[in-house]
Amino acid sequence: MLRRRDFLRRLGLTGAVALAGGALKPWEALAKAAPEPGLIVRNTWPEHWETTLDALGRAWWTPNELFFVRSHFGAPEIDVSAWRLEVTGLVDRPLSLSLSELKKAPQADAVTVLECAGNGRGLYKLPNTAGTQWERGAVGNARWAGPLLSTILYHADLKPEAKHVWFEAADRAALPDVPPFVRSIPIEKALQDTMLALRMGGSPLPRLHGGPARIIVPGWYGMASTKWVTRIRAEATPSDNHWMARGYHYVYPGEDPASAAPVQEMKVKSIITWPLEGSRIPGGSVHFAGFAWGGPAGVRLVEVSLDDGRDWRPAFLDAERSATAWRAWSVDLPVDPHKMMSVMVRAFDGNGQQQPLEARANASGYGNNSIHRVSFRVD
Amino acid sequence: MWTRRAWAAVLLVALFAAAAGSAGDKGPPRREVYPAQFPDGAGRPLAERYCAICHAPTLVTQQAKDSTGWEKTMSQMEKWGIQPTPAEHDSLRDYLVSHFGPRVR
Repeated sequence: MLRRRDFLRRLGLTGAVALAGGALKPWEALAKAAPEPGLIVRNTWPEHWETTLDALGRAWWTPNELFFVRSHFGAPEIDVSAWRLEVTGLVDRPLSLSLSELKKAPQADAVTVLECAGNGRGLYKLPNTAGTQWERGAVGNARWAGPLLSTILYHADLKPEAKHVWFEAADRAALPDVPPFVRSIPIEKALQDTMLALRMGGSPLPRLHGGPARIIVPGWYGMASTKWVTRIRAEATPSDNHWMARGYHYVYPGEDPASAAPVQEMKVKSIITWPLEGSRIPGGSVHFAGFAWGGPAGVRLVEVSLDDGRDWRPAFLDAERSATAWRAWSVDLPVDPHKMMSVMVRAFDGNGQQQPLEARANASGYGNNSIHRVSFRVD
Repeated sequence: MWTRRAWAAVLLVALFAAAAGSAGDKGPPRREVYPAQFPDGAGRPLAERYCAICHAPTLVTQQAKDSTGWEKTMSQMEKWGIQPTPAEHDSLRDYLVSHFGPRVR
């Protein structure tokens, strides 16, 4: 067990600061690092910050400072000058690469949505709910840049028996017995479009978002995109780490957790960023807008309804700039003045899958892609 | 004397205010959305001693679980290193269920 003195030392706090009943607690100290307006603090330590729909609606790109933050154990302190990425396991040429060496490798550039698997957890109608109660803003659309994993693994010379790629990271829990956060993905996905991101939104990858380097697995929920990565391991099997074997599965009520499907690709989903809930807007022609995304399959169609889902009308979709980036949708529809109304939006992905009215609730609250409805008043 | 229409207007405004307040996507950004401190109660010192080793109280104060759910969470945390005595375990579980019990939707 971690002793209190060790814990305080790990936090860099002195003996004058006590955990219980003291003047300054760790979460209070960290709360002073105030996030931008437009972020909802769901948890101060580790940082769980959600972007408001108002902030998301301002641009197709989500600015770094408004991008949601989800960390398992808090952002570690990393000496970038000494940091190295190890590439080990089933490779003929193990590598140890510095940041400057990785910057000299061919750099890929991709815009992709990153969505927390628990986005919408707080909206499931379950009496019991664990974890951070995200609503709709644990998602963002950013430009990521860095070498593709295929480039790095090519130089490491993969052995034929390598079937999975494991990602180990620098972040650690305060208690030493908590398993480190390790994720793995199949080798096919690793070689297809997975990236080691060194940059985000045109800037060096911010520490809160995994800097100096993180994995980006386009089209998969965010847990696959390991932050603060330190080691890439080629292996024959998936990782048996707690966060792979037990965490991140769709366990539906009454079903056996042992046979639950793992959380992997993002489900098709859309959000309304205008109007906002409770808005008052002038009557006549009303502009409705938002974003839609569909995992690796992309988005094919977005429809809106002003009559509780009886009649659906197609929205205009902007050009698809990348299958895993989100697409802006908008539509102008006439509405009568002096009434309360609601608008619903639903998206269809490239495989024909559509958003459900109510996603099936599961024990850990993953993958909530229920249809978004916004109520507003027309003056 | 207020007319029926005036009362209806007041009710409408109140309903909209409630809807806007619950949505969280309008108005000034919310810095904190859940209690930042554990509420008073017999188990508060235990929660501060054991739960807050790894995370802020808000991670607990936003959750909702029945006794079985909190037992499962505490069992996991004890496996990972917290070591309450049996009496502390029961007291902490009762405190969590009492303040953060199942949600009524």
